Amino acid sequence: MSHEAHSIAVRASGVDMFFGTPDNQVVALKQADFEARRGELIMLVGPSGCGKTTLLSVIAGTLTPQAGTVEVFGQRLDGLGQEELTAFRRKNLGFVFQSFNLIPTLSVIENVMVPLLIQGRPYDEARARSLSIIDKVGLKGREDGRPNALSGGQQQRVAIARALVHEPPLLICDEPTSALDKDTGAHIMQLVRDLSRSPERCVVVVTHDHRIFRFADRIAEMEDGRISRVVDDPKLLDTTHL
Amino acid sequence: MYRLALNMLFGDRAKLAMLLCGLAFSALLMAQQSSVFFGIMSWTYTPMVNIRAQVWVSDPMVEQVNDAKPLRDTDLGRVRSVDGVAWAAPLHTSFVQARMQDGNFKLITLVGIDADTFAGAPAVLTQGRIEDHRLPDTVIVDEWGASLMGRMGVGPDGKPRSTPLKVGDTFEINDIQARIVGICKVKRAFTGGPFVYTTYDRAKGYTLGARRTLSFMLVEPQKGVTPAELCGRIERDTGLKAWTSDTVIWNWGERSLARNTFWWFWTNTGIPFSFGTAVLLGLFVGIAISGQTFYSFVLENLKYFAAIKAMGAGMGVIARMLFVQAFTAGLIGFGLGAGMAQAIGRAMIEKGMPPFVMFPQILWATFALVLGISFVSAIIGIIKVSRVDAASVFRG
Ligand SMILES: Nc1ncnc2c1ncn2[C@@H]1O[C@H](COP(=O)(O)OP(=O)(O)OP(=O)(O)O)[C@@H](O)[C@H]1O
Ligand SMILES: [Mg+2]
Repeated sequence: MSHEAHSIAVRASGVDMFFGTPDNQVVALKQADFEARRGELIMLVGPSGCGKTTLLSVIAGTLTPQAGTVEVFGQRLDGLGQEELTAFRRKNLGFVFQSFNLIPTLSVIENVMVPLLIQGRPYDEARARSLSIIDKVGLKGREDGRPNALSGGQQQRVAIARALVHEPPLLICDEPTSALDKDTGAHIMQLVRDLSRSPERCVVVVTHDHRIFRFADRIAEMEDGRISRVVDDPKLLDTTHL
Repeated sequence: MYRLALNMLFGDRAKLAMLLCGLAFSALLMAQQSSVFFGIMSWTYTPMVNIRAQVWVSDPMVEQVNDAKPLRDTDLGRVRSVDGVAWAAPLHTSFVQARMQDGNFKLITLVGIDADTFAGAPAVLTQGRIEDHRLPDTVIVDEWGASLMGRMGVGPDGKPRSTPLKVGDTFEINDIQARIVGICKVKRAFTGGPFVYTTYDRAKGYTLGARRTLSFMLVEPQKGVTPAELCGRIERDTGLKAWTSDTVIWNWGERSLARNTFWWFWTNTGIPFSFGTAVLLGLFVGIAISGQTFYSFVLENLKYFAAIKAMGAGMGVIARMLFVQAFTAGLIGFGLGAGMAQAIGRAMIEKGMPPFVMFPQILWATFALVLGISFVSAIIGIIKVSRVDAASVFRG
């Protein structure tokens, strides 16, 4: 039991999440249970609208569920105030958003620096660290341009660089490779996977992209607001909806 | 983060330009209108500036310097006998019609000064000598007045001409000849046209009908007696009203005639109201344009602020980012607006019309108001960002 507790990075149990008014209610999560282990890269797959993004938001502490508990690296999120949740995200989380949310009026490198600056790191240090991660995602030389001058795939790589730059314990990615070609996608996933290979780390990836399933340690299938199955081998997946 | 906040602001040139336009325009409007206001108000007590004397004595009913209620000539003796008076000289001021050589009439401000002491005489003569003023039928005209009157004058050749009057030219006041022996430089006034200086006794002649001609008495205190002190004694001993002559607006005493004149115009004319309206307008335009532009700047960046929030920036950091952005825009906008106001003011001062007095205090007040506008804009933005849901960044 105690060994198992130590091996768990994220645990959500009995999570309910509804949207809208009582008479016009959308059920996004219904008694959802989810676990991610330390040092693993787990993928979340399922049909559109099944609640994947909602579950990510709950794990990230940007949405507070109506029922259930969420625990990330031993920290219970329920009961934390807004500022505590914010501080929790600042320390522990890296994000790749479904729409990249790069700030168009800032340069590529400034976008990447944001998480470090939010943590209060000095500008020069933030710049140096951002430069090296930009290099790793293959965008060297583009750091001073604007994101809008880049292709969709390149923008996604900037978003990934931004998510990785502060080496967050928990990396949360919503469709990180949707705009990337096969090789770039593989390259990026390799980066992300390398990051997960440590007991202090964990990566949760929502994806429809079967080309990257091979990077997953485990794959959780979602259906109608809950995890229906967790498999170790992509071949075991029900791929009819993908 | 603040550096990034600034880069976000400067990254959108079009928005920034509009924001700065709004702020600069309202700064310009507020600074310029206030300066013209104080310029005009400073014209109301022009005689206090032009006619230098430490203490002015008037009829008890007098409220301001442009509204003289003539005294008896014998009052002069009563004032002279007050303890602490070094000397007291008569002063006449009135508005009279002057007839130019071409037959046109012109309203002038006639100033009669004491021929013995020359108390109240203009300080700067650009032509002629003050002593010639003692010759019969002579006057001294101020520079601007000379050009006003000259415009309608006739030259020695009999042809109309538009050059200013000069020493040697003549006109008539109540059919009595006035020969110019000097041109002086004085401050322009709110009321009255050209200043025409003559001696107190000749002024009596020029204003034939007037029963009393003693408008004010100019008094010099003895050494060791302050003007305010002397005012008290004169009022106690004579029942007349005595005033000090300080004209420094931020620093004038209770008894200052300039101060009382200023407040008389403040309460009895629509000048403060109309200028106050213009200043308020500047403020509202500033709040409207800048607030609106800043708000749309925030709206446009809302999802990025939400992303920053999701990544773990607290509202405190975001609020400070917005303040940095708003105050930076405010600072630049103020600089532009105040600079323009200065430039316009400089051009105005050269022309003298309308009067323009830009106190440092006006700039400070404008600065404060522009920062106030920025503050309001930032607060609106902060409220907007604080309401946005960090989870929204996950949605496409
Ligand atoms: N803020 C919201 N307000 C109302 N309904 C919402 C909100 N967010 C999500 N939903 C609803 O909750 C359900 C789950 O949405 P979610 O975004 O989690 O799906 P998803 O699995 O990420 O889908 P996709 O693959 O299309 O991104 C959907 O029916 C959606 O319409
Ligand atoms: Mg989604």
